[in-house]
Amino acid sequence: MYGINKEQALIMHIDLNSAFATAEQQAHPSLRGKPMGVTNRISKECCVIAASYEAKAIGIKVGMRRTEAMAICPEFVLLETDPPKYNAVYQKLIKIMLTYSDKIKMKSIDEGIIDFHGMEHILNGRTLEDIGYEIKQRVKTEIGDWMKINVGIGTNRFLAKEAAGWHKPDGLDKIDHTNLIKYYKDRELTDLSGIAERYGARLNAYGIMTAIDFLEAPEYMLKKQVFKSINGTYWYQRLRGYEMDDHETSLGMVGRQWVVKDPSDKDEYLLPCLSFLCETTGMKLRYREVEARGVAVWVSYQNGEYWHQRRMHKSTFYTNQEIYRRALELFNKRPYGIVRTIGIYTYTLTPSQVSQLSMFDDITKVRNITKAVDEINDFYGTFTVYAATSLEGKKIIKQKIPFGGTEYFELLLKS
Amino acid sequence: MDPTIQINEIVDVVPIFRGRASEINVCTPWKMKYGIHEIVFTKLGMRHPTAKGKRMIHVFDVSDGVNDYRLELDAERLIWTLVSMVEGSS
Repeated sequence: MYGINKEQALIMHIDLNSAFATAEQQAHPSLRGKPMGVTNRISKECCVIAASYEAKAIGIKVGMRRTEAMAICPEFVLLETDPPKYNAVYQKLIKIMLTYSDKIKMKSIDEGIIDFHGMEHILNGRTLEDIGYEIKQRVKTEIGDWMKINVGIGTNRFLAKEAAGWHKPDGLDKIDHTNLIKYYKDRELTDLSGIAERYGARLNAYGIMTAIDFLEAPEYMLKKQVFKSINGTYWYQRLRGYEMDDHETSLGMVGRQWVVKDPSDKDEYLLPCLSFLCETTGMKLRYREVEARGVAVWVSYQNGEYWHQRRMHKSTFYTNQEIYRRALELFNKRPYGIVRTIGIYTYTLTPSQVSQLSMFDDITKVRNITKAVDEINDFYGTFTVYAATSLEGKKIIKQKIPFGGTEYFELLLKS
Repeated sequence: MDPTIQINEIVDVVPIFRGRASEINVCTPWKMKYGIHEIVFTKLGMRHPTAKGKRMIHVFDVSDGVNDYRLELDAERLIWTLVSMVEGSS
């Protein structure tokens, strides 16, 4: 009736439970079983970026401010992030996953996919559930006895992720044509991965109130009315277990944002921080071997207002100084106010042309000095040599953990 | 709050190198002399490599059953540093 995919479920989603917090509890036996979390840099207004299951059980959530968490539990322990530790866990998890299939894809630092299509022969009659339990055990043996993972199995990435979140923590579930409808019947719309409040409200406006309503919605309606794009068809297929997400995304922008440690309207405080953000943006650009043509700066203010400006340039740029000069031009046009968040990003990215010979001496000099500084920083650690304009910013801003992707992890570890 | 106490002192450590062990347990610090105290480690929480520039550092998070200690072995200079400790409740 629903046109559900009846293929064998061969996608496995692996999700480390509360990854950073659990890694800290693994490293610190005295913190096991206690409400704890991690933050980028401890300050009065810092946020919890990962919370242990014990902390979540008493209502401490990711994104909550330290003061709010302490009000819930005065004994709440907050540690600063330790990227090399999380990288070690990440690398070991990849190593385990690669022993089952070379078709793995890390979605972020704490979750990844194993695609078993074409690997049926190595299963030797074992089911994917057997493999899942084996991976769970190997994580405990090879990474640490406190580490727990959720394993989800499905016919596509979406269902595998849903299955991984079905019984947290330490769960293992499979969703296929035999139990898919039952699964949706127990779910709210916003329980589904990829459906947040905004999409939820849009679906509600068309009478789609639950996950099972979403499954029952006609494709035409989703495509022409609800999503008003091909996304409607994608969702129609995705919900039925057909693969819609096996594609590479292209690099659209590179940048960095920062929640100002002590919100301020003073240039002498904000400019060194902007300069530092431009340095990290430049490093990321060169790391990805691209150059940019556009630069944008945005600011959110203490009073809730928001300002944004962008500019496209004729020529490409990639050095920290060029990014800062262009960003500064925009930043100086901002309306007055106490700045709470600063963001900068570069866009319209093209492959780097650094290796091409230039006819102009000054361009060659800039290339050479940038290359030399990058090599020094690569050898002695990031920010061994950096611009004087970033001096004060470097003392204030900490390099942060990349949550969304793992592209810059190597870069972060050098700092 | 953050219970970490920063120490950053070079210490004497007796490690154990096991010939036949899983990768996680090949080398574990056994005991450490810190001031007048001799601390015997009963649990290895985690070991992970990191780098200071191009210098390889092995980080060992260990416990004596009450407190947690972060020890770093500088693989180039072969020096052990007690970086920090977290006081647990006995």
